[in-house]
Amino acid sequence: MSYYIYTLVFFLFVYFILAMGLNIQFGQTGILNFAYIGFVAIGAYVTGATSLPTSDTGIGTGQHYILGLNLSFPFNLLMGGVVSSLLAVVVAGIVLRRLRTDYQAMVLISLSLVLYDICNNFVPLFNGPDGLYNIPEPMVGIFHLTSNQFVGFFAAVTGVISFILWLFMNRLMNSPLGRTFRAIRDDSGVASALGKNVLKYQVLSMVIGAFFAGIGGGLIIQFGGSFNTSAWLPGETFVVFAVIIVGGVGNNLGLLVGSLLVETLLVHLPAFLPDIPGHTGLIQYIDGALIGILLMVMLWFRPQGMVAERVPTTERLLKRFARSKRAVANAAVDGDAPNAQVTL
Amino acid sequence: MTTESIAIGQPILACEGLKKSFLGVAAVTGATFDVPKGLITALIGPNGAGKTTVVNILSGMMKSDAGTVHIGTTDVTNWADYKIAALGLMRTFQLSRELGGLSVLENLLVAPRVQAGESLFNVFFRPGRTKREEAANIGRALEILKTYGLYDLRDNRAAALSGGQKKLLEIARGVMANPAILLLDEPMAGVNPALIDQIGEYVVDLKNRGMTILMIEHNLNIVEKICDYVIVLAEGRTLATGRLSELRANEDVVRAYLGEIINAGPHS
Repeated sequence: MSYYIYTLVFFLFVYFILAMGLNIQFGQTGILNFAYIGFVAIGAYVTGATSLPTSDTGIGTGQHYILGLNLSFPFNLLMGGVVSSLLAVVVAGIVLRRLRTDYQAMVLISLSLVLYDICNNFVPLFNGPDGLYNIPEPMVGIFHLTSNQFVGFFAAVTGVISFILWLFMNRLMNSPLGRTFRAIRDDSGVASALGKNVLKYQVLSMVIGAFFAGIGGGLIIQFGGSFNTSAWLPGETFVVFAVIIVGGVGNNLGLLVGSLLVETLLVHLPAFLPDIPGHTGLIQYIDGALIGILLMVMLWFRPQGMVAERVPTTERLLKRFARSKRAVANAAVDGDAPNAQVTL
Repeated sequence: MTTESIAIGQPILACEGLKKSFLGVAAVTGATFDVPKGLITALIGPNGAGKTTVVNILSGMMKSDAGTVHIGTTDVTNWADYKIAALGLMRTFQLSRELGGLSVLENLLVAPRVQAGESLFNVFFRPGRTKREEAANIGRALEILKTYGLYDLRDNRAAALSGGQKKLLEIARGVMANPAILLLDEPMAGVNPALIDQIGEYVVDLKNRGMTILMIEHNLNIVEKICDYVIVLAEGRTLATGRLSELRANEDVVRAYLGEIINAGPHS
């Protein structure tokens, strides 16, 4: 029983991480990244491949993959995040440069399918449709864990990682940089007219989100020990979108709620429930229908999500940034004479 | 060279021979004019004269088919808009484009072009610098909101403002950016007469503090009252430039534009 609970807790935290990554891209910067699951997959594959020895020796027997650096945790995980981010630089640099949001979405969903086909058919990369398996369970040797203990232990590790990433994301979203992202989301033309290099910020947002995706993917492959193309059908991206839409785009607490409702309760819990008499196996596939219904209900009755985005009040901004109210008052006195501080 | 070294009244923004067509229809066919520094210049002309297209080209939101644009001595022809903004030229929009999901205060806070807190490195490794700058910006933004009568709405989402309030917010956002040159695209359109006079006073105040203003305006009363210099566009080209009183004597101008305005009444 505890195994099931730890698995549910693990997926709660992983999807919290994934939702934070997609939220910075979609919820904060307005990039409809329909290729998101591709970045998760790259993170998973790279983490897996870098934790295995080279493919022609040792436990990798029979598998084909690149890298094979035999890295230990957390370096393999970081590799997953970094490679996913590097892919985002290339993708964002090409896709976001000239296209409008709706066309970006189309190109990104196509990209997701292309990535899927490459990984599925080009066996020397990540072992084709069989994917990677026998991925070592991290830190088992250090703490002398049994396989059952590992599940709880790794769910806790994932919790700690998601907490660190949450701290990072919270600071980012509450910073002037986060505000510029939201300005681009609301009207990129205005942001550009205000002197913001929109492409630069969009690429940055894609890179940060892809890092979160890569870390999430890396945790998934290390938790389960294997990863293949059946785990990341392009439609999986919409599960992460559902987490964000149900939870609410504005704040990270909402993403945790969305992750609990969509991922834990709808996607993973049914697999652990007893079969419906006379309909063996049906319950495992019920999640798609339930998520669809939940999305429609949310978009009709609560489009802002369970936890709505709040704009920061002046008081909150002052608390966050001012050392003292007096400093703000002083700043107000010297600051408002326009002058042209431009160099030509 | 900075635009600061240009004397008041000398050209700070200049365009020559601007041309632009859309799907074969010529919108601008040869706009040539100078905008003098530290003054309020009106850009007037009948509907379809190409005024907004010219402003779009000047601010870098649209590329011209031919012609040049200079800020000071720098050739900025067909530069990207954010690079032109970096040289100190900001614009507002004919239909207000507020950042609806941000609060009124945040709409202003996003405006300063270079902010330490917009760098990922500074956010995490130089929090002190980010905080100091942000505190100063908040103070300045609150002052501007007070001036523009938006202080009480500071914590509302900008999307919830009325049309007139959105116009004020656009100008306030432009002021917060602290540009050398501010292009206002019909700042008085669609606002009530009392607010028109108020916006006029704000614009004069900006001029008095050293800003160069180029505004598209149809309301000739306000043009007469606050603008030092007028550029008349008709059918995509510069028809005349000068003071409005001089232009009233220009037969071409009267035929192309002023005549229809005078016949239609003062507020059309």
